[in-house]
Amino acid sequence: MAIELTDIIMDYPGTRALDRVSVAFRTDEVHGLIGENGAGKTTLVSILGGSRLPSEGRMTLDGEKVSLASPGEALARGIAHVSQEGSLVPSLTGAENILLGGEPRYPGGIVRRGALRDQARALLARWFPDLTIDLDQPVETLPYADQKIIEIVRALRGRIRILILDEPTATLPAREKERLWAIIRRLPAQGVGVVLISHFLSEIIALSDRITVLRDGRLIRTFPAAGATEGQLTSLMLQRGHGPSDGGAQDRRSEALGPPVVEVSDWNIPEARVSSFHIRAGEIVGLIGLTGSGHFAFARSLYDAPDLQGGTLRLGEETVPRIAAHEMRRRGVAFVPDHRMIHSLIGEWSARENLAMVHPEAGAYRAFGILSPRRESTEARAVMGRLSVKASSTEQVVGELSGGNKQKISIGKWLYGAKGRYRLMIFVEPTEGVDIGAKREIHDLLRGLAAEGTAILVASSDLIEIADLSTRVVSFVNGQALGDLAWPNFSEQSFIAAMSGARA
Amino acid sequence: MNTDASASVAMPRAGEAARQRKQLFLRYSTLVVLVLLFIGFSLGVDRFLTTSNLLNILQQISMLTIVAIGLTFGFAAREMDLSVGFMAGLAGLIAPTLLVAGWPLPAALAAGLGAGLAVGLVNALLVTIVGVPSLIATLAMGSILFGVNFLLSGGRAIYGGLPDSYLVLGQGRLFGVPVLAFIMFGAVLLAWFVMERTIVGRYIYAVGGNLKAAELSGIRGRRYRQLALVICSLFAATAGILLSARLGSGQPNAGQDYLLDGLATVFIGMTMFRPGTATIAGTFFGALFIGVINNGLNLIGLDTYIQSIVKGVIIIVAVAIVSRTTKLKLL
Repeated sequence: MAIELTDIIMDYPGTRALDRVSVAFRTDEVHGLIGENGAGKTTLVSILGGSRLPSEGRMTLDGEKVSLASPGEALARGIAHVSQEGSLVPSLTGAENILLGGEPRYPGGIVRRGALRDQARALLARWFPDLTIDLDQPVETLPYADQKIIEIVRALRGRIRILILDEPTATLPAREKERLWAIIRRLPAQGVGVVLISHFLSEIIALSDRITVLRDGRLIRTFPAAGATEGQLTSLMLQRGHGPSDGGAQDRRSEALGPPVVEVSDWNIPEARVSSFHIRAGEIVGLIGLTGSGHFAFARSLYDAPDLQGGTLRLGEETVPRIAAHEMRRRGVAFVPDHRMIHSLIGEWSARENLAMVHPEAGAYRAFGILSPRRESTEARAVMGRLSVKASSTEQVVGELSGGNKQKISIGKWLYGAKGRYRLMIFVEPTEGVDIGAKREIHDLLRGLAAEGTAILVASSDLIEIADLSTRVVSFVNGQALGDLAWPNFSEQSFIAAMSGARA
Repeated sequence: MNTDASASVAMPRAGEAARQRKQLFLRYSTLVVLVLLFIGFSLGVDRFLTTSNLLNILQQISMLTIVAIGLTFGFAAREMDLSVGFMAGLAGLIAPTLLVAGWPLPAALAAGLGAGLAVGLVNALLVTIVGVPSLIATLAMGSILFGVNFLLSGGRAIYGGLPDSYLVLGQGRLFGVPVLAFIMFGAVLLAWFVMERTIVGRYIYAVGGNLKAAELSGIRGRRYRQLALVICSLFAATAGILLSARLGSGQPNAGQDYLLDGLATVFIGMTMFRPGTATIAGTFFGALFIGVINNGLNLIGLDTYIQSIVKGVIIIVAVAIVSRTTKLKLL
């Protein structure tokens, strides 16, 4: 028995999240699903679980064509989805959570408490007879693994044949994980196939019968898990197949670089520890790592670090006492974050207003900070021209622009009215969700800024981008910065090896 | 370099034009309703369209407008101030009490405004440093001020012996136009200028529009949220002083209606110009809207109870429009 997805396409405004994905999930297997953030895993399982309808494509259940328009419909067809965030009511007991919404009742609607406990116990015993979990305690008092098991038992309440588990161990302490792993391994023997999403590759290899790798919305491969290695999976998740370009006329020799602009030592933030790090004038340093390895958090912490636990940052000759956005901006550090609509732009504002956010004084009369709409328009138009932003005018609302143009505005905020150059510019995912043309323009801009002597830090999950731009690359593994890779020894293979922990 | 060269026009997609028409309709529909109301009352109610009645409307809405402007600063930074009504009451007690006790006018006015400053600072401290959501912090502050007002006054009105220089603020006329109307227009213009034409105003809007983005742009979010709450209290205090000058006495329970009326005003204003965002212009027309309705219904001879019902319905309709058509972000 199996559910088969054929040529699934999912289009969101401006991006294609899934591009002709075909895959079959069987009821007698644990099927590992892996890919970097944005590869399309979540979109695929939300289609499978009935939360979204695909733009195109077919789904068949045991050969019969089905269309799952809601999670309820998917449940009726035997497909249940246990999401990453957890869906238990913390203050209710395990038994109450298991039967939530399907409690046994007396006529008149009052819950039969005794029967509720018995039924919940029976359900738990039916699936996992050897487990002892106290179902009479509020679930918030139970170990995380037991909470997850309760969620799974609840999902198995109906006649379930496919169970989707989205990062089930993400919130679990290491010693509790094995308890859950044992549970997951047993389900196929009981007629329930598991679709397992996890960032932990060792877990995927240990638990899965087959593994499917997604990258950029495409299915890369489905293959048996036996014999797979973490290095092989990492490579499939990341490799984009064509080599780095030469980066145009960019001079990437280290002799061309100036003195260090920023120097960091004994840096300690919750997500990463870095004993020593620096960027020289004119240098573009690339940060790479798997999702959650701390490279994005580190990049950001050089501009805004409210939870800095230790370390010093020297900017030129000066040691910066406090790493806060307004301080660093004043000292000539720019920061272009990822997730631009959350971290950088105001969707309802015009391009002009967004651009003027960092240096509004450039569009103002000097006295009292009085804004001049005319000066603002002139300045905004200049920035939009420099970055070739495609918009109907400076007054177009930013939320209506395409991804590439939004990103240009997000970068342009730092060019608007910037009198001199910045000493240091930090970019996280500078071309996230950006079309090829805009991407090339943004890369050229970064090279140009470096050529003027700005120190540039780029953290990106796009390895080609890193290879194209960087003069030096630092790889992060589990919150640790590993040694540098120096230009021109860049290749996807060397990056991937560095990201999976092999010393460069 | 001109606009056309640097920013080429994107081809509008299907449905784009329809969406823009809808936006345009939304932006001005409330104004159209206001004009229709005005015409309706002019035709249907005898004494409505007279100079004295129109000036009367301006006078009636002046203090409400001033409170609502303060609330607009708060809304722009996405902070709510539910203590404005009792704050107005407090300032409207302090100034007359001190005047009766023989204080000079400027000192008494400064003391009233100083109370607004102090309460605003406490609100700001509670919200941005302690971390109490503004809705709760200012609700509690309102309760505290209510008690303070009755303690200060002993529950009695303060009147008699108020100097003419004070009363003229609320009752005087200049070239036949109420002084209150001049003060209101002054406040509207000043607030409009600050919000639309200064960096400070831009920052307040930025903090309310996307706090994270504002802070990562190097804007000190906390500082501008504090400023918005202080401004809000100061405008409430101003309205309270003017109200006591208008009434010729300090009343412990004066100003209480300004909270609900002020919120209604801001909500109506949020349907206009930049739907979903509180703007000074929107707030002014919102106050006019309420003023015209109240005045018209009064002239027809309807009870204040009916007016209260009408006001409630208007708030619901205005918020329904805004929240169904925009991403309304009240808190």
